[in-house]
Amino acid sequence: MTEIVRIYGRGLTGLFLGLVAFWMALLIVAPQLSMIDRAFLYQDRGGETAMLALEIDRAYQRVFQIDQELELLRAAAEPDPAAAPSAGAAPSAGFGPSAMSGFGPGAGAPEVSADEAGAKIAALGQEKRLLQAKITELEAQETNTSGEAGMEEVYSLDNFTSMSAVHFEIFLATIVYAFCVTLLAFCACYPVAYAVASSDREGKVAVLMLGLVIPYAINELLRIFSWVMILDKQGLLNVALDTIGLIDLDAGEGFRFVASNGAVFVVMTYAYVLFMVFPIYNTIETLDRNQVEAARDLGASVWRIHARVVIPHAKPGIAVGSIMTFMLSAGSIAVPEIVGRGLHPDWFSQVIYRRFFEADSWNQGSAYSLALLAACIAFILITMAIFKVGIRDIAK
Amino acid sequence: MMRGKDVTLQGVSMRFGAFTAVETTDLTIRAGEFFSILGPSGCGKTTILRMVSGFLQPSSGEISIGGEPMTGRGPNRRPTALIFQNLSLFPLMSVRDNVAFGLEARGIGKAERRRRADGLLEMVALSGQGDKKPTELSGGQRQRVAIARALAVEPAVLLLDEPLSALDLKLRQHMRAELKQIQRMTGVTFIYITHDQGEALTMSDRIAVMNRGRIVQVAGTDEIYGRPANPFVATFVGEQNVFRGRVKRLEGDTVAVIETAVGPVRGINRDGLQSGDDAMIFVRPERVSIVDPETDDGQGNRLDAEIERRDLEGPFINLFLRAGDAPLALHMPNAGDAGSGLEGRQRIGFACEDTVIMRAGELARD
Repeated sequence: MTEIVRIYGRGLTGLFLGLVAFWMALLIVAPQLSMIDRAFLYQDRGGETAMLALEIDRAYQRVFQIDQELELLRAAAEPDPAAAPSAGAAPSAGFGPSAMSGFGPGAGAPEVSADEAGAKIAALGQEKRLLQAKITELEAQETNTSGEAGMEEVYSLDNFTSMSAVHFEIFLATIVYAFCVTLLAFCACYPVAYAVASSDREGKVAVLMLGLVIPYAINELLRIFSWVMILDKQGLLNVALDTIGLIDLDAGEGFRFVASNGAVFVVMTYAYVLFMVFPIYNTIETLDRNQVEAARDLGASVWRIHARVVIPHAKPGIAVGSIMTFMLSAGSIAVPEIVGRGLHPDWFSQVIYRRFFEADSWNQGSAYSLALLAACIAFILITMAIFKVGIRDIAK
Repeated sequence: MMRGKDVTLQGVSMRFGAFTAVETTDLTIRAGEFFSILGPSGCGKTTILRMVSGFLQPSSGEISIGGEPMTGRGPNRRPTALIFQNLSLFPLMSVRDNVAFGLEARGIGKAERRRRADGLLEMVALSGQGDKKPTELSGGQRQRVAIARALAVEPAVLLLDEPLSALDLKLRQHMRAELKQIQRMTGVTFIYITHDQGEALTMSDRIAVMNRGRIVQVAGTDEIYGRPANPFVATFVGEQNVFRGRVKRLEGDTVAVIETAVGPVRGINRDGLQSGDDAMIFVRPERVSIVDPETDDGQGNRLDAEIERRDLEGPFINLFLRAGDAPLALHMPNAGDAGSGLEGRQRIGFACEDTVIMRAGELARD
């Protein structure tokens, strides 16, 4: 501390510390506290106001849908049909199924004749006006009753205890999944890290390191999508199998690699491989090469050399890599959503996402994510205790 | 009691790309002897050691241990054990586990491992230290753990790669005696790599001196010191006074007179030089003495030299003199106050039979 003051002077040190404190307070402490607060704050969704709010939400959603349909109908009625969007081109940028569902009713629009379209536009306009009137009424009602009836907020554990059995199963499964991903990542990374760390040639190390770093200069989502291209039914892997004659794609043969947990594991392993490789590489690099030779000279097999000499030495690095990979995969939402396509067993991160943005229950979502965080930390501490790795080893 | 085996190198050479680390070499190391390979750094001695241990495969030739060819056998399948320069103990294992590691690798049961490891620790005077970590031991103790660990696998040949170089002087001298004793006790063939001629001379039965990938002399310690084969061995092993010159005339079959910058010097002409040949003259500093001009009998070589410095090295007094342009060293035993009043110009002398004449060649750099 005094060292920092000596180097940068009081003013600059104060600025650094102030910025760090500001950053910690604003980006770490405040959101966490708010999340914890929400997690323990139970909203009674059965109350009158809650029902009102739900009804208003639904009305707004329907109005939005009507607007979309009207737009499509009008576009279809335009003289230039080339401008009409086809159903297949419906944008689907969002992750959740909800983003898709809004476009459902408009799918058949280009088929109808001009007269029918006119009638439909009129009907929809009518419905919209009715809905808007209803919304005004409901909102007035909400303002009147607010604070008296309905939305009761009390501190309790209900957000946690009201977790359904299905969600709880997913919760436990997710920890197992994340553990599997961590294990896979370790199996993939350890040999690479060992090979790179024990390579003598400067050039070889540089090439291997570049090979690991360059893919990580690409956006994570792109990396995931590229895997979808490989694993898809019409993807590169099936095409390759088709080319060498193992399967016949034209006859409808082909493996559905995506939308399975296996694919999710593989892609996730790939997505977080770097976080595993570097810590292990760093620790193995500090291992005295003579120790490996000494073990070999004393007659140890390759397996024993690794089990007794290399892995014990690399343990802190393995622990750091595993913690990062485990935490990242337990919380990953992009990989199970994109690769899983809702057809694979759910991950808890997806459940949390839906709690927040589909069930519109931020409090329960907070409770779920807090539970996941706590469970992950507990799991890590237990694993560290089993493998006899201390916090101090990791700090080294 | 373990049994040492002999090691034979037949036409062995080692090349790394264009660089030849070890020139074609034939060498036989007898079973149960303490054999040192001595040479400056980069002379190829460690390469020979690594070829014998199996970490390197020779570019040509064959290595046999106990008559069995070792070609294609990895280090884990040879009857050798290597003690590394930095010892390379396993820092995360206890001392006992370190010693028992080779037994563990051979699938020996836990109780038996423990019994044998404790026996070896007792042999190297470390009983009761088995549960400690290597880092908790002193340098000398770690050294002994490394020896016990290597001996645990009952090797026929123990290879030592300058294992004493990290120790301080006192400990090094103590460990020399200990290593020698362990070698006698176990009967294992020791191949000891060092650049320290003192270590090689005190411990070895025989020494091979290496230079630039070539073994230049293999002999017993007395012969290496007393009858070095060439100027390199003469100057690398022990200290020497060196004069360069040209053969002026021969006196019979064994003696020649060399014309040097400090005047004519008479010595033993072992290389059979002819008149006019380039020559080098070697005299050990302990063979040079100060001559009292009053009682001088005039036998042997005489020079006048100026004393420049006097170093006291306990039992010896080292005088550094200058005869004309040539530096000259003189070691005399410290007999009371002898030499304390010496200064200025002195007459020094050395016997003709202590003066070795060799064909001019490469000297060791110091």
